[in-house]
Amino acid sequence: MASTSVRIDTVTKRYGDSIAVDGVSLAIAKGEFFTLLGSSGCGKTTLLRIVAGFLKQTGGRVLFGDTCIDDLAPQHRNTGMVFQSYAIFPHLSVVDNIAYGLRARGLKAAEIKRKVDTYLELTRLSHLGHRKPRELSGGQQQRVVLARAMVIEPDVLLMDEPLSNLDTEMRIHLRTEIRALQRKIGVTTIYVTHDQEEALLMSDRIAVMRGGRLEQVASPHDIYNRPATRFVASFIGENNFLPAVHRGEAGPGHVRLELPGGQFTAKLRGDLPAGALEAAFRPQDIELCPPDGGGDGLVGTLADIQFLGGTVRYAVDLGGGHLVQVAGSNRSGVALPAIGTRYRLGVSPAAIALFAPEVA
Amino acid sequence: MSALTDTAGPPRRGGLARHLGFWPVVTAIVFVLIAGLLLLPVANIVGVSLSAGAKTGGVFENYVSFFSERFYYQTLLNSFWVSFWPMVFAVCLGVPAAYFVNRYEIWGRGFVRAAVVLTFVSPPFIGSYSWVVLFGRSGVLTQFFSSLGIPLPSIYGAPGIIFVFTLQFFPFVFLLVSSGLKSIDQSVEDAARNLGSSEFRTFRTAIAPLLVPSITTGALLVFIASFTDLGTPIILGERFRVLPVLIYGEFVNEFGGRPVLASALSVLLLLVTTAALLLQRWLSARFSHATAAIRPLQVQEQPLGKRIAATAFVFLLIGFALLPLANIVVSSFLKSNGPVLVASFTLDNYARIMDRLALPLWNTLFYTTVATLLCALVGTAVAYIIVRRPGPVSSLLDTAVMFSYAVPGIVLGVGLVVTYHEPPFALTGTAAILILAYFIRRLPFSVRSSVSMLQQISRDTEDASINLGAGPGRTFLRITVPLLATAILSGALLTWSNTIRELSATLILQSGTTATVAIEIFNEVVNGNFGVASALGTVLILLTFLPLVVLFTLLGKKEEALV
Ligand SMILES: Nc1ncnc2c1ncn2[C@@H]1O[C@H](COP(=O)(O)OP(=O)(O)OP(=O)(O)O)[C@@H](O)[C@H]1O
Ligand SMILES: [Mg+2]
Repeated sequence: MASTSVRIDTVTKRYGDSIAVDGVSLAIAKGEFFTLLGSSGCGKTTLLRIVAGFLKQTGGRVLFGDTCIDDLAPQHRNTGMVFQSYAIFPHLSVVDNIAYGLRARGLKAAEIKRKVDTYLELTRLSHLGHRKPRELSGGQQQRVVLARAMVIEPDVLLMDEPLSNLDTEMRIHLRTEIRALQRKIGVTTIYVTHDQEEALLMSDRIAVMRGGRLEQVASPHDIYNRPATRFVASFIGENNFLPAVHRGEAGPGHVRLELPGGQFTAKLRGDLPAGALEAAFRPQDIELCPPDGGGDGLVGTLADIQFLGGTVRYAVDLGGGHLVQVAGSNRSGVALPAIGTRYRLGVSPAAIALFAPEVA
Repeated sequence: MSALTDTAGPPRRGGLARHLGFWPVVTAIVFVLIAGLLLLPVANIVGVSLSAGAKTGGVFENYVSFFSERFYYQTLLNSFWVSFWPMVFAVCLGVPAAYFVNRYEIWGRGFVRAAVVLTFVSPPFIGSYSWVVLFGRSGVLTQFFSSLGIPLPSIYGAPGIIFVFTLQFFPFVFLLVSSGLKSIDQSVEDAARNLGSSEFRTFRTAIAPLLVPSITTGALLVFIASFTDLGTPIILGERFRVLPVLIYGEFVNEFGGRPVLASALSVLLLLVTTAALLLQRWLSARFSHATAAIRPLQVQEQPLGKRIAATAFVFLLIGFALLPLANIVVSSFLKSNGPVLVASFTLDNYARIMDRLALPLWNTLFYTTVATLLCALVGTAVAYIIVRRPGPVSSLLDTAVMFSYAVPGIVLGVGLVVTYHEPPFALTGTAAILILAYFIRRLPFSVRSSVSMLQQISRDTEDASINLGAGPGRTFLRITVPLLATAILSGALLTWSNTIRELSATLILQSGTTATVAIEIFNEVVNGNFGVASALGTVLILLTFLPLVVLFTLLGKKEEALV
């Protein structure tokens, strides 16, 4: 049995009065690298542990392929889990750690050795096979538990923030490695993280979670460029939010908006939300233009400049307490503008997203 | 999946555990063991104690007669008397001693700690008879002083018992207060001193209140140990009778004891110890401040005078506490003529115990080892259930295990005899009943040791094993047990050293062929063969102390682990 598709069908998990996972439904394709992304406490681990069988959901079903696995004990689910805390077996050598699941399955010694060797090589641990975990670095330990989870050829690979205990350099290095390995093996993977960069870089699809619910399920590109909710727009990447008032249509699928400091035309992505509006646009989608050049745009004063080397960040004050962040690049031979310069901010209609404002 | 052939899913094995689940089956087994060895015997004692009057309609007949006959209720009062005073004295001596050892730069601190441990683990009845050798009617020191014309107070009766209990049991207070002091942060003292408080005032107002749980726990443990001890009052009591002696007398009386009365007395004893333990729990919870010291109280520099005075106090106390032990070791190498020792070196005593010791020594080692292994096995499983499978059954187990602390050895002995003297479970007089008694009495050591370690081990490691396809049983054996190895080992060492010197339950349960070294010593003492008793006592002290040496040196445990 190789990898399988996973279906999560309106799964709910309650702890007393509080609700950790709230009616989540997902269909994950065979071989897909699927990421659960959300801030701390949003229910990612809970959902993952329900799939692994360590927690029993309060409602809903989990299916592997067409088989409902709710009554299957965790040791019979054939999932490979990588824990945030590594959960390496400290008393076993690297080889014994990796062979653990194969031995539990009663494989023959020769076969175990062959498989363990394969994965030692894949995770580049061959020279460390006989070390004890305490003699390994964090990154090496993480590769051991990865090999340990993959060598059993699980139907589904489950990873709970596997990189969060590592330093930045190791994290950047390992995330590419994990993704390459997953592609090679082709195992369906559910990956949990609160690091959006990790999620965007590694995933085939991302589910953004919040308070136990799904906000949006989409490809990294769509999650970033077409956030479905205001939460996703603010959670993924950076966004400027400004109150907007609808001032009528502007051609098919376009609306006129009045914002602090001026007017915009925005391309509608779906239905126009009823009631009050908020317009969102990303710092890198804004062009700084001369104030009197005509055309659409918000007019404001340059209030602050942050020089970051390759990029430069400008804060433009539109008055009334509204600041807009603008990202520009630093080109040789172009001088930085002076604070106090007036600008008109130009944004293409397609770069503007409209949401109903968040009710606090 | 091209390069790698498919692996079959994890195996599913058959068997009972597969159908019911591994842990439910283990829980049931453990529960039956504890119920059968602890709860049932206790219930039976209560039943028997009420049975005599059942015919006449007065189920409390035994209790009524107990409280109306002076001979009986005086015994209860006596028991309180010789438990209350050791409790008071142990606090008065143990608290300052612990404070000085932990706070002052006294000399020989390591020696003092070792001496306290040695006192603590040495069998109380050995200490008592050693005092008799020194201060008894024909005691070495009694005669020496009377030749100088100085009459010494009698070691017999209540004062002697109180004296011996105090010296024997003050380590409870010492060890608990020592660990209490280690959990107080230096900043507490610094703040008080900074506000202009003197050292004594600081202790009284800032430190002592934080020590209340340690002191009360220590005090009540002294009380319980004194209240339930059987050996010392037999040896020193003479006509001064306490409750355990009365129970023992009524139960094993060769001229027809009264097991019903013995049961009623056992119930009384159990009520007192249970009440004391509940009081201790309540006090600890009520006064606990749950502080974790970032920088524990430091050793302070003191003026030389204070340093000398503190050292003198501690060494005087330790000297008295060690005297009986030193006396035993020394007199085991002396020629003896009955109770009279002669000052010339000999190995006669050891030669004499050689042939006589063979069976009891073998018995002792065998029973202790089997009971220790059982404790380690069952105790680890119980700890797992308590920590990892919380729920009503688990807390019931927890309570039952803690209850076994409250059941005195003699009460357990009576209960087991009452429960298992008839077929199909006619176990009285067998080795099995001794082993089972030791097992259930010392189970809390293993449970406690594994519980505290298990609470520190992340559940993820075990979950990872389950996730990789190992069932709960395999996970327990391959992952949990190895991770708990040091805790299991230290629990086992404590069990061993506490079991090997067990006297009161053994006195009730042994049958001549199942006598242990402790019983043999006891018999020799009662017969006045002090030389032989000393040689046996030295062997027993060694057997008790050796595992602790391993515990402290190899496992790096602190003495506080003992209480
Ligand atoms: N055993 C429990 N009892 C009660 N509430 C719980 C329990 N376990 C988790 N929760 C709650 O459920 C919610 C989701 O927890 P979960 O561990 O799934 O979060 P998470 O998304 O993994 O967060 P993190 O990124 O911090 O790991 C949290 O609010 C948590 O407090
Ligand atoms: Mg989590």
